[in-house]
Amino acid sequence: MPEVGTDNRELLVTGRGRFIADIAPDDCVDVCFVRSPLPHAVIRSVRLSSSQATWGAELGLQPLSLEAGAMVTTLWHPMPTERVRYVGEPVAMSWGASRYEAEDLAEAISVDYAALPPGTPLHDEAPDDVLFSRSFDSGGVDEAMAQAHLVVERTFKAARQSALPLEGRGVVADHDETSGVTTLWTSTQLPHLVRRGVAHALGAPESSVRVMVPHVGGGFGLKATLYVEEIALAALARRLGTPVRWIEDRTENLLAGTHGHDTRVSLRVAVGVDGRVHAIDADVLADVGAYSVWPGTAVIEPAIAAFSLFGPYALEAVRFRARAAASSRSPVGPCRGIGHNAAVFATERVMDVVAAELGIDPLEVRRRNAVRDFPWTSPTGRELDSGDYLALIRRLEEASNYQGLLREQAQARSEGRLVGIGVSLFNEITASGSADYRRRGVTSVPGTDAARVVVTAEGRVEIYTSAADAGQGHAETYRTLAERELGLRPEEVDVIEGDTALCPEGSGTFISRGAVGVMESVVEALRKAAKEDFEPGTDVTHVHDPSQVYPSGAHLAVVEVDPVGHVPHVVRYVAIEDCGRMLDRDLVEGQVRGGIAMGIGEMLLEEHTYSEDGQLLTSSLRHYLPPLAPDVPAVEIHHLESLSPITALGSKGVGEAGTIGAFGAIANAVVDAVGPLGAELTELPYSPERILGAVRGEPPRVAS
Amino acid sequence: MTVNGSRWSGDVPARQTLCDFLRDELELTGTHVGCEQGACGACTILGDGEAVRSCLMLAVQADGMELTTIEGMGEPGNLSTLQAAFLRHRAFQCGFCTPGFLASAAEILGSGRRYSRRELRDMLSGNVCRCTGYEPIVEAVFECQR
Ligand code: FES
Ligand code: FES
Repeated sequence: MPEVGTDNRELLVTGRGRFIADIAPDDCVDVCFVRSPLPHAVIRSVRLSSSQATWGAELGLQPLSLEAGAMVTTLWHPMPTERVRYVGEPVAMSWGASRYEAEDLAEAISVDYAALPPGTPLHDEAPDDVLFSRSFDSGGVDEAMAQAHLVVERTFKAARQSALPLEGRGVVADHDETSGVTTLWTSTQLPHLVRRGVAHALGAPESSVRVMVPHVGGGFGLKATLYVEEIALAALARRLGTPVRWIEDRTENLLAGTHGHDTRVSLRVAVGVDGRVHAIDADVLADVGAYSVWPGTAVIEPAIAAFSLFGPYALEAVRFRARAAASSRSPVGPCRGIGHNAAVFATERVMDVVAAELGIDPLEVRRRNAVRDFPWTSPTGRELDSGDYLALIRRLEEASNYQGLLREQAQARSEGRLVGIGVSLFNEITASGSADYRRRGVTSVPGTDAARVVVTAEGRVEIYTSAADAGQGHAETYRTLAERELGLRPEEVDVIEGDTALCPEGSGTFISRGAVGVMESVVEALRKAAKEDFEPGTDVTHVHDPSQVYPSGAHLAVVEVDPVGHVPHVVRYVAIEDCGRMLDRDLVEGQVRGGIAMGIGEMLLEEHTYSEDGQLLTSSLRHYLPPLAPDVPAVEIHHLESLSPITALGSKGVGEAGTIGAFGAIANAVVDAVGPLGAELTELPYSPERILGAVRGEPPRVAS
Repeated sequence: MTVNGSRWSGDVPARQTLCDFLRDELELTGTHVGCEQGACGACTILGDGEAVRSCLMLAVQADGMELTTIEGMGEPGNLSTLQAAFLRHRAFQCGFCTPGFLASAAEILGSGRRYSRRELRDMLSGNVCRCTGYEPIVEAVFECQR
């Protein structure tokens, strides 16, 4: 959403924002989708029963083929005509003067399905249902295992979850016959990629689609893929010649918005007598749902998870196999902390197991293993640009009064209370450049970010970027930057984002690229404009191709589990964050605090579950439980700023760190709390049922 | 009924929810819909001074009531004390939950009592915020009690 003159925050706090559901052009019709009630079935026939309804066979959409290295090429069929592959997949649509009318008409549509037997492969191209598989071996793993003082072996399972932005998705499409351009308002993090994907599916040139992004009520990854509904609405607007709109309801959002995580990590770890971890051997298996969604979601979760294992620790040898398996469930897409969460959960649990087995303090075992010299190249080829992990641990120890906490815990335990302390040390990869995508075989994501700075005749400075804001506060950050770096007054700076007709092309907003690639391009473009003294008429663009950088952090949580109901409660949370140079401390802390709240929810409450016959059991907020105010403590945040030597400002990104760190700290705190009862939990979320099950010694449910 | 101080009378479809009526008929789009299931609190408005979920009520049930939506609480350049506190404390990021929280908070402040932060957390547990981690919202409301 452009932010010209006014401060959008005043609009938002007075209810004057413009979100997707607030856009209702004259003569606009409301659309309702008919979705598959079956997990896997052949479509035998469709009876529409009205002229205000249509389905895939009439829309003539092109399937999109998925590209990525080490992956079977499968086709993604928007509005399929032959087969449905998950409950909630859109099959037909109806429209009327209101959503109420559209729903009435949808009820009259009948689709005849023939259910396919369980076990039928989802894609003919992938008879074993494996959509992606990648192996890595640095050499030396077997030797390290043979010489190890201790080999720890564990399997962990991160649950299937939803990023659950409070605002669901929505699309408004309008086609202009004269210019031939279809304008698509959509609540997305990826304006340019949506334009490209929609144009492909329509078989139309990209220039005939304009994507505009209104205020976005949160994204967290759920709004970072191309969706069938965006394609279908564009096609319908072209056909009807009137504006059409679809506003998702919460059930659709939980059913058909991408899910997150759902990853199993099995680890074997070779440990020396001093607690040093020398080598790991890992198997990562992600259930990515029915499709790899364009431009190739299946790869991301398992690949990032595998590469992120033991991220901050100085391993000598690594072997892994990472796979994505298709299932007749909703597709899995990006979700705050993608891949990292499962990796940090498994890694940090294992570090605590090592500490316990060898009688070493958890902070000490991390100190012994942490990477010390930067830049550092991991056995998997990751180049850690910067950081100071020992300082993170030291600050955590001081800020939390760790020794005091241990004494308090001993006291609480002697009173029979179940109090646990958990720590985590982590790093994360942010921003990926064109080379990273090409290496993975992905050609549709440019990997670059761009900014254009224009000085108007009146002397106002306009910043156009390739990103889209979903509440992170981009405009505010750019204005601060313009003020700090170049002495511009914030009032004279306008920020225009989320309009493919005006903004330079780039990758969008995900994997925390905002603070890295986008920010770099803004700074460089501003510097170029400064060389021209911000003369009216100045018009400069900077395209930045970022390199991966590694922000890091150390978290500590104190959790108390009530001994009767086994409800875990987070009573204290301390976070030390290092995202390099902070451009705006308040915005950084907002991201960290919000991220930790999400992490607490995902660790303790949130889980999508399916019945045996493939129905989603958590399709309402009565069953899918996000954390509420009493579930989250006040978070104590402290900062370290180890500047990245490879970014212009030294910053490294922060959008996901809070969530990632919580996956380690909360996991360890809960296990520590119930440790005296002899329970070790390996499956998320740590709900009261699971805790009770572990306390009773029941085996974890089979990870499907 | 009265909405933000103005009287309104007319016919509404029997099945229309109050939030849809406010948004579609009166074009008061500041009332947001996050779930239509009574679980997220985004649609909360004030009805006769009490916080009500406008997705769980039909428009016809609001017959004769006095309603206040976010549009009636302040405007850009003329913020209410609570709205100013929300801005200062950064009690929102995307802003989608904000109208609902402001209504819930207005009801709490209307009681004239002072609550602890912990009590406020419990009292605000009918509203979901996915962005902020709640702390700045609690702080903003806490401050306005003084
Ligand atoms: S929309 Fe009314 S409670 Fe969620
Ligand atoms: S600010 Fe985004 S949901 Fe609360």
